[in-house]
Amino acid sequence: MRWFPSLLLFGFLAAVNALSSSGNRLLVVLEDAAEKGLYSTLWGDLESRGYNLIFESPKSEQLSLFELGERAYDHVLLLPPKSKGFGPSLSPKNLVDFLNSDGNVLLALSGKSTTPSAISSLLLEFDLHLSTDRSSIAVDHFNYDTLSASEKHDILLLERPGKVRPDTKAFFSGEGVIAVPSASPHTLGDNSLLAPILRAPTTAYSYNPKEDAGAVEDVFATGSQLALASAMQARNSARFTLLGSVESLQDKWFSATVQAPGGKEVETANREFAKQLTGWTFKETGVLKVGKIEHHLAKGDLTPEDLNPSIYRIKNETVFSIEISEYNYDGYVPFEIPANDNLQLEFTMLSPFHRLNLAPTAKTPNSTIFSTQFTVPDQHGIFSFRVNYKRPFLTSIEEKHEVTVRHYAHNEYPRSWKITGGWVWIAGLWSVIAGFLAFVVVWLYSEPATAAKAKSKKTQ
Amino acid sequence: MAESPVDVLLKGSSGRSARGLLRIIILVTIAAAAVSSRLFSVIRFESIIHEFDPWFNFRATKYLVQNGFYDFWDWFDDRTWHPLGRVTGGTLYPGLMVTSGVIYHVLRFLTLPVDIRNICVLLAPGFSGLTAFAMYLLTNEMSSSPSAGLLAAAFMGITPGYISRSVAGSYDNEAIAIFLLVFTFFLWIKAVKNGSIMWGALAALFYGYMVSAWGGYVFITNLIPLHVFVLLCMGRYSSRLYISYTTWYALGTLASMQIPFVGFLPIRNSDHMSALGVFGLLQLVAFAEFVRSFIPGKQFQRLLTASIILTTGLAFAGLVVLSMSGVIAPWSGRFYSLWDTGYAKIHIPIIASVSEHQPTAWPSFFFDLNFLIWLFPAGVYICFRDLKDEHVFVIIYAVLASYFAGVMVRLMLTLTPIVCVAAALVLSYILDTYLKTSPGPVTRGRSNDESSEGLRSARSPEVGITSYFSKAVTTSAAIVYLLLFVAHCTWVTSNAYSSPSVVLASRMPDGSQFIIDDYREAYYWLRQNTPANSKIMSWWDYGYQIGGMADRPTLVDNNTWNNTHIATVGKAMSSREEVSYPILRQHDVDYVLVVFGGLLGYSGDDINKFLWMVRIAEGIWPDQVKERDFFTPRGEYRVDDQATPTMRNSLMYKMSYHNFNKLFPMGQATDRVRGAKLPAEGPQLSTLEEAFTSENWIIRIYKVKDLDNLGRDHSNAVAFDRGNKRKKASKKKGPRVLRSE
Repeated sequence: MRWFPSLLLFGFLAAVNALSSSGNRLLVVLEDAAEKGLYSTLWGDLESRGYNLIFESPKSEQLSLFELGERAYDHVLLLPPKSKGFGPSLSPKNLVDFLNSDGNVLLALSGKSTTPSAISSLLLEFDLHLSTDRSSIAVDHFNYDTLSASEKHDILLLERPGKVRPDTKAFFSGEGVIAVPSASPHTLGDNSLLAPILRAPTTAYSYNPKEDAGAVEDVFATGSQLALASAMQARNSARFTLLGSVESLQDKWFSATVQAPGGKEVETANREFAKQLTGWTFKETGVLKVGKIEHHLAKGDLTPEDLNPSIYRIKNETVFSIEISEYNYDGYVPFEIPANDNLQLEFTMLSPFHRLNLAPTAKTPNSTIFSTQFTVPDQHGIFSFRVNYKRPFLTSIEEKHEVTVRHYAHNEYPRSWKITGGWVWIAGLWSVIAGFLAFVVVWLYSEPATAAKAKSKKTQ
Repeated sequence: MAESPVDVLLKGSSGRSARGLLRIIILVTIAAAAVSSRLFSVIRFESIIHEFDPWFNFRATKYLVQNGFYDFWDWFDDRTWHPLGRVTGGTLYPGLMVTSGVIYHVLRFLTLPVDIRNICVLLAPGFSGLTAFAMYLLTNEMSSSPSAGLLAAAFMGITPGYISRSVAGSYDNEAIAIFLLVFTFFLWIKAVKNGSIMWGALAALFYGYMVSAWGGYVFITNLIPLHVFVLLCMGRYSSRLYISYTTWYALGTLASMQIPFVGFLPIRNSDHMSALGVFGLLQLVAFAEFVRSFIPGKQFQRLLTASIILTTGLAFAGLVVLSMSGVIAPWSGRFYSLWDTGYAKIHIPIIASVSEHQPTAWPSFFFDLNFLIWLFPAGVYICFRDLKDEHVFVIIYAVLASYFAGVMVRLMLTLTPIVCVAAALVLSYILDTYLKTSPGPVTRGRSNDESSEGLRSARSPEVGITSYFSKAVTTSAAIVYLLLFVAHCTWVTSNAYSSPSVVLASRMPDGSQFIIDDYREAYYWLRQNTPANSKIMSWWDYGYQIGGMADRPTLVDNNTWNNTHIATVGKAMSSREEVSYPILRQHDVDYVLVVFGGLLGYSGDDINKFLWMVRIAEGIWPDQVKERDFFTPRGEYRVDDQATPTMRNSLMYKMSYHNFNKLFPMGQATDRVRGAKLPAEGPQLSTLEEAFTSENWIIRIYKVKDLDNLGRDHSNAVAFDRGNKRKKASKKKGPRVLRSE
């Protein structure tokens, strides 16, 4: 039993480290090592949540997101570069490749420096737009911190965001105010994979402090069209978060006291928000996992062979069930569908023939089983059970299981005598047969003896 | 000649058995020649299934052999017509597969395990031997001359018109159907001659077999009633006719209704109505005959006229009402195209697009039948001289079949048997006239063969063939023609009809053979490198081959039962990528396969078939796909830099010429089929990526990309991958688009 202690140790390590559902190697790209100290609370928080932080400068020679074609890190946190860009190892192409191979990226920008054009063009690929001068900041004359930015109005004070849509879960909500100092705002395009996390207040606008003009003429965007933090979840569920203000992650703002115009002095909730933001980006929350998917005929005694058959017949009564669990910071819990929302099953051939709500029918310690029962449509073909559940901030579920629906076999129709409407025809048939036989008998045995000879010749 | 020592053997009672033996030997030799001349393709290439349809038949046979008859009957095929599937068991003619299945099991029972593929490959040659025998029997019914049957059998054995559909590997329905056709006709003639229920029932039995084997059974269904009808019109009603026809019709219809694919067609479809009508007419005529024996002539005349008018009116009204109400199915398009050769071109492009359905070119009559084609009219004329019931049959058959053969290339096959019969009748007549010592008229000589010999001298002055010179000239001319015929048949068979078309052969400049095996290369690539369930989209011509050789599901195949589905594929091929991609996604397409001959100069490629795709798609979506857009303003179909934008942006064009210009020095890319110089800039594909291109570029396979991971357009994603920086969404005119959740 020598392996037992090591197994125990392994299990222990796994329990400690398995905070993120997708690995704990976190690369922090930080150009100026001196700035590391500004974020020490964040680093501490991340480490305490089990991340293995690796600090690298973008200029570093050995920095590479991939090693032998595999991802070298699970997550990347990019702090804004001071120079013109992140350098060759963090080119937009590499970052896109990193996302395509399931890595998660948190990109923080700052309104204090001009965002490099390489980053701007990377963001364009995600349909996130920065202002054309790339150095605007968000300003609001109604929601600023009177204590530290009474003049510039560039430290916005915001409520914690609620649900983005009524049918979604709120991952970033909570009590308190968030201070967003000198944020570089962005707008979201029409990409359906994007979702805003933190929007600017309706009275905010974007403004370039370097331009002398006192009045802003051509505004990039205003109000809640400006986003300060946004998320993009790729189709493979890799997550990319853009945070407009890197300063909001600094220790200084984690525990600052702020005051809105005409408000009270309050403590900022930046630390809590940063936990939610990094937690979501690095897949600690909102991760759905599909367990068993089963479909079978609706009948009492099921044997293992009856499960997930590849062929059904039209008009079969069928049961479909799917097991889903949700990762919530330290482990999988049963997935609860948000109120106002439904998990749906489609039974599709070219277009859905059925679209049914899946109801939770059973629960295990860390998953919920949703199921439904329906009748296979009266149409043969190659159908598929599809569960397509895509909501902002939840990893997308796209399950497709193909089954063949065949026609009735020749011996599956009811026999003729069971169809009452057919009795008339059956009676007709047999009466003709009986009549013919009777006629033959009569013909053969009642022939007049005299005419026999002549007739027989003729019939030949 | 009578003095010849050989004649001793051929005369008298010992002569009869010797002649019988000879006849058997000759027939066996003919059968052997028929089989062996069809083996060119096996020797040249290998034992392989040919062309397109045979691949489906082969696949179905394998299914039958593996799963048994009942599973075959209930077979729902989920690997074709994705995602619709095909109720294959109920929509095919099972005769061919069942025949090979039975042969397979019989051989296994005899402890001769033969691979099912070899049975399928050699089935057609095997049945051609039987066809030759059936031909002998049929022709023997037409003529008393013993040589006619043997000649017909020999003709049938080697004529290219029949070989074209029955070389080894051509495992198609026609392989057994022609034998059944000829044999059914033989049994029918026998039944009419004898008025026998037994022959009639046998004819019905083989008719049932024929129905199970080939859709061409409709030819029999209409020809036999027509024969009866003509005989009735000629006033040749007899109880023989009544017995044979009613037996055949009742039993044959019941037999044909047992085939699931045919089902209730024989009593509902217009194509079958003539048989039913003649059946009814025959009853009326029989009743009239019966009544006539009781009623005096004058009254009978009146009664007859009245009843004829009444029944005709009633029958016509009934037909109209039933057709209008839809009980009787309307005439099928294929039927219309038999009468109006332009019909299909206008209304049903899918029928017109099949090369087999094109009208026959004149030279092909000579090509397929050689000197038989000019003996044919003479044979029909000889039938007019006798004009017994069976000769009427030959005449009707000849007229109908020659018309149909002129309309559709593939119906040359139904013409071939009657040409062989007619030509054999003539040739045997000529040879009998010139070779026999009694040159008297054949009709007279038939009844008293022995006695006519003594009267030779008395008759010879009238006929005038005593001269050895004319005998020699005529017979040697006939022999030369026969030899030329054999040479022609061998040449045609070896050069035109023995190519499997799966494997192409060409000649190198030095004369050595060069085998182009791109099809199988590509199909095996698919078989070995793609998941078993990946869906392949291609034009329907290749559906059966992909199903058979690559064993992958296809969207459309040669069983063109769903025009809309084919049009969908046509639309995907002929539209821009942005339009095609959603179609590909919706149909779960994983790979797209195109055939491209531009590098090798292989003219049967998809760009040449492209207009059919466009036409078929236009038939369903006239406002989205327009044939006119593929032609230049001057009405030319071009692929070079003059090609229309629609043409150049179509998926088919892009897939065909993707990366093609990289094979050539800058600006030198040339399409060798169309002889066109291609634009220096090749087309750009963004939604598909090249997965495989065969050695000679004949087959190109593309993989359909998944949706972009980051939610971009494919064109943008490709541009990004190529390193182009995205232009900033420049200030558009008009109000800014706001985002709302």
